Amino acid sequence: MAIAALICFAILLIAWMVAPDASATGEASPVFEAELAPAA
Amino acid sequence: MPTINTGDTAWVLMSAALVMLMTPGLALFYGGLVRRKNVLSTIMHSFFILGLVSVTWVLWGYTLAFGPDTGMGLIGGLEWLGLEGITGAPSDVYATTVPHLAFMAFQMMFAIITPALITGAFAERKRFKAFVLFAVAWSTLVYAPIAHWVWSPDGWLFGLGVLDFAGGTVVHLSSGVAALVAALFIGRRSGLLHPATEPHDVPMTVLGAGLLWFGWFGFNAGSALGANGVAATAFVTTNTAAAMGAITWVTLSWLHRGTPSVLGAALGAVAGLVAITPAAGFVTPAAAIIIGLGVGVVCYGAAQLRLRARVDDALDVFAVHGVGGAFGALATGIFATTAVNAAGLDGLLAGNAAQLLTQLFAVGVVALYSAVVTAGILFIINLAVPIRVAAPAEEAGLDMAQHGEIAYQP
Repeated sequence: MAIAALICFAILLIAWMVAPDASATGEASPVFEAELAPAA
Repeated sequence: MPTINTGDTAWVLMSAALVMLMTPGLALFYGGLVRRKNVLSTIMHSFFILGLVSVTWVLWGYTLAFGPDTGMGLIGGLEWLGLEGITGAPSDVYATTVPHLAFMAFQMMFAIITPALITGAFAERKRFKAFVLFAVAWSTLVYAPIAHWVWSPDGWLFGLGVLDFAGGTVVHLSSGVAALVAALFIGRRSGLLHPATEPHDVPMTVLGAGLLWFGWFGFNAGSALGANGVAATAFVTTNTAAAMGAITWVTLSWLHRGTPSVLGAALGAVAGLVAITPAAGFVTPAAAIIIGLGVGVVCYGAAQLRLRARVDDALDVFAVHGVGGAFGALATGIFATTAVNAAGLDGLLAGNAAQLLTQLFAVGVVALYSAVVTAGILFIINLAVPIRVAAPAEEAGLDMAQHGEIAYQP
């Protein structure tokens, strides 16, 4: 059971690694752009 | 044969809940200290760790910290991976009058708040993905080993006779030093009008400090692991040191800046709480007054030095937790007395000068280990995921750039 639980956590860990991170390239997130667009 | 005591069990479970509340309290404490564009990201650091470390502690953290020793007192084995074999029956080793699961849960809350303390150092500029990886790695590679060294009966520092009632070295010194390293690694924030922090909501910070103070009764008095006289002593010394820290810091700011600072009251209370943590169950209430006064002076000075230093430990984690934790650990070596706790040891003033040297050694070892391993973790993570956000994201604020949300509508 402990191994199964570890696998569950590992799935989340992989998801965090591949999840988008718009600011990694200095670009804004979509929501960020949408909020800033009217002001710009 | 260990037997469950219902009073002890109720107190330990209640204390675990009190300590749990400290992490959201810390989120508010830190959240109020940052600029309004970064309040959500700062709160998220603590709140996400509440979830993250709760899971890793069940999976592998507890067995590494408190599991049967693998030899040499450095780390626990994997026998209790996923809490295998940890049940409602008491442990033969830890808190033998409460269910083992209750002791595990109490320790879990300590494991949660410790990495959350560090987040104050890299507030307003750390990439969330890098933060998640850091929290997992740090709680595994720094917190769990140090907890084993100091609190496991097989731990090598425990064997040397180091006194740490509730985590002056394990929690506060380790996180405070890690915070200093993290602040040096990530660099100064950009766009600050003043080298000091720019708190956007002081009432939020004071509310957070109040919740921390409240939860700290579980942290310290709960560390007696029973509903008994030592718990009552720790309760009183905790409150006394917090009070003395608060009024000392306010007095210093009043004399130094000409005004009695509200923020200073919150910071001073936390400094007092930090310093009494390793000593709470070993010293008298009168000693707690001296410790509260001393840490108020020392941490106020450290915070002033930070303002002049190039290192940008954004929310004074090192000044309060690192310096305060070290001060408290050493004060324990001075003021501890077996008249308060027969299970403890005498300190310098009770005729045992060697205890102060033991405490000094523990401070040095824990600080060095935390600094070196934290630097290694940051270096490796930075190779995979840049720890610092890009300049435009930092300028816009992490709430929007990292989380796509804002705290306050314009």
